[in-house]
Amino acid sequence: MRSTYRALAGLIAIGVVLQAATIALAWFGVMNDVDGGAVYDEGTEYNAGQSLHAILGMIVIPVLALLLMIVSFFTKVPGAVKWAGLVLLVVVVQVLLAFASFGAPILGTLHGANALVVMGAAGMASRRVQSSVGAPEQATAQPTAGAGAGA
Amino acid sequence: MLFAVALGFVGWTWWGSLVPDTYSMDDMGVADFGGGEAVAHEAAHGGSAVGVDTLTGPPDGEPDVSETLVARAGKVEIGGDGARAVDGYTLNDTSPGPVIRAKQGDLVEVRLVNESVPDGVTLHWHGVDVPNAEDGVAGVTQDAVQEGEEHVYRFVAEDAGTYWYHSHQVSHEQVKRGLLGTLVIEPARGPSTDDVVAAVHTYSGQRTVQGMVGEQHVEAAAGSTRRVRVVNTNDGAVRTWVSGAPYRVVAVDGREINGPTPVEGKTVSVPAGGRVDLEVEIPDDGVRVSFGGGASLVLGPADADAPTDDEPKQRFDPLTYGSPADIGFDPDAADRSFEYRIGRRIGFLDGRPGFWWTINGSIFPDVPMYMVQEGDVVRMTISNDSGKVHPMHLHGHHAVVLSRDGVSASGSPWWVDSLDVRDGETFEVALVADNPGIWMDHCHNLIHASEGLVAHLSYVGVSTPFRVGGADHNHPE
Ligand SMILES: [Cu+2]
Repeated sequence: MRSTYRALAGLIAIGVVLQAATIALAWFGVMNDVDGGAVYDEGTEYNAGQSLHAILGMIVIPVLALLLMIVSFFTKVPGAVKWAGLVLLVVVVQVLLAFASFGAPILGTLHGANALVVMGAAGMASRRVQSSVGAPEQATAQPTAGAGAGA
Repeated sequence: MLFAVALGFVGWTWWGSLVPDTYSMDDMGVADFGGGEAVAHEAAHGGSAVGVDTLTGPPDGEPDVSETLVARAGKVEIGGDGARAVDGYTLNDTSPGPVIRAKQGDLVEVRLVNESVPDGVTLHWHGVDVPNAEDGVAGVTQDAVQEGEEHVYRFVAEDAGTYWYHSHQVSHEQVKRGLLGTLVIEPARGPSTDDVVAAVHTYSGQRTVQGMVGEQHVEAAAGSTRRVRVVNTNDGAVRTWVSGAPYRVVAVDGREINGPTPVEGKTVSVPAGGRVDLEVEIPDDGVRVSFGGGASLVLGPADADAPTDDEPKQRFDPLTYGSPADIGFDPDAADRSFEYRIGRRIGFLDGRPGFWWTINGSIFPDVPMYMVQEGDVVRMTISNDSGKVHPMHLHGHHAVVLSRDGVSASGSPWWVDSLDVRDGETFEVALVADNPGIWMDHCHNLIHASEGLVAHLSYVGVSTPFRVGGADHNHPE
């Protein structure tokens, strides 16, 4: 379960990197299309970058964060649940910020900044479990300072 | 434990969001009587209920205007320099389809033939307050016309103005891809000025006016006047501006503006589905009407070289334009007052998780069914807190704008059938329920409609024999 936890957290962190990449692809795609005379309006379908960003951001990463939350209950690593909960929370905030930004584009700046928080939280979660990987399973049953957050 | 409860709740919400494969509009939504007399939502098929299929135009009589429109799937040829043909739909081999012209009082008959559109087609007469059976909404007022079938629409052209027609079957896809055309109803006495029809449509990123990209020249003598009938067939607003001469906004959504004054240096925002008639006097150098995306009309003598102004920042505002006039009824004596509150929240739409539109807090199909009786004076407060603009379109009726964000309309009566309600805005409108039937009241960003931003205005005692979904493959959105 620990390696699953670690893999999920790692995938979320990689997902954030991909989101930075896809949104750059989206914008350069728009500018390139406009250079070629295209009109962007309400009826315009998403380009490759926009589609990927939407799928990763609204489905893939939230599902990974949910799975991380579920898996965290079985890792028996102190702090694993807390970190998974934090990752899920900042992912939800990230999605909400995205939708709020359609009406108030200035919030898009927070969407960009919060992405780094998602990546940081996922990285910390991964490291949290990594440090106890290799230690005997029962070792985690010992009372530890970070074990406060429970199921 | 808490997590399991949360998961159970999500599962239950998901289950509750599922829409049956086939359903009747009679059983849809949550009946809302708007504070008026609560009368039975006539769910009974047959009985004393009036079927929408009986609410037709005149069944007999020679039509004054007769047209056959053949719908086909295939390539749409776009005119103008550098245009590319796109996959889409045509009517009589063109998109936009032919301009249908009638005079006020004419009996119009249109035979729609579906030659090769796989999903089936219908024709909705956007902005024309036709009898309900002629409204062209698949699954509500008729069955979709499948390949090899045909359907005849007959109605009297009662109100002069600028209108359009489009399919209301899988409309979010069919309209975008060209299944549309324009309808002009001229005043009975004949038009006072020559007109130019300017249907604006974007085909796969190519902004066109009357099916042509770029600039088009329209011959007009200096000193003459022209009425430019701007029709926005897109999913989003089209910004229109005039360079080289002042203009008057003489009509909005097929209703004349009272006392239009000259306008200069302002952009007119035409909502999706909306129409705006602009009148210009042609100067020696001609005049340019721009529609964004490089599409424009130059009206003038053959050698006219009209200026190319940038889009003015200032917006034309119909709320204060023109002079007040009698609207023919008293909105303060309303029989019913409805609320149409648009929001957006996380939830399930027919089992799909997402961030969906809500009407009065609920996701489709738990949306209001606004119930009225013939003769009612109806007020509706439309508000939007969803983060995006919604061009709200009511079928079969015109409503008059009373106020926006608490500021009363102070200009000409502003009648609409397609009204942009921007994020954060609240409009109060009023109408007379004078056209029995079951009428869609939906967002004309047709993607949003397909995402559930659809409600209905329904007359007590009217029911529909048609069904959405099922064997007839009716999918109005
Ligand atoms: Cu909308």
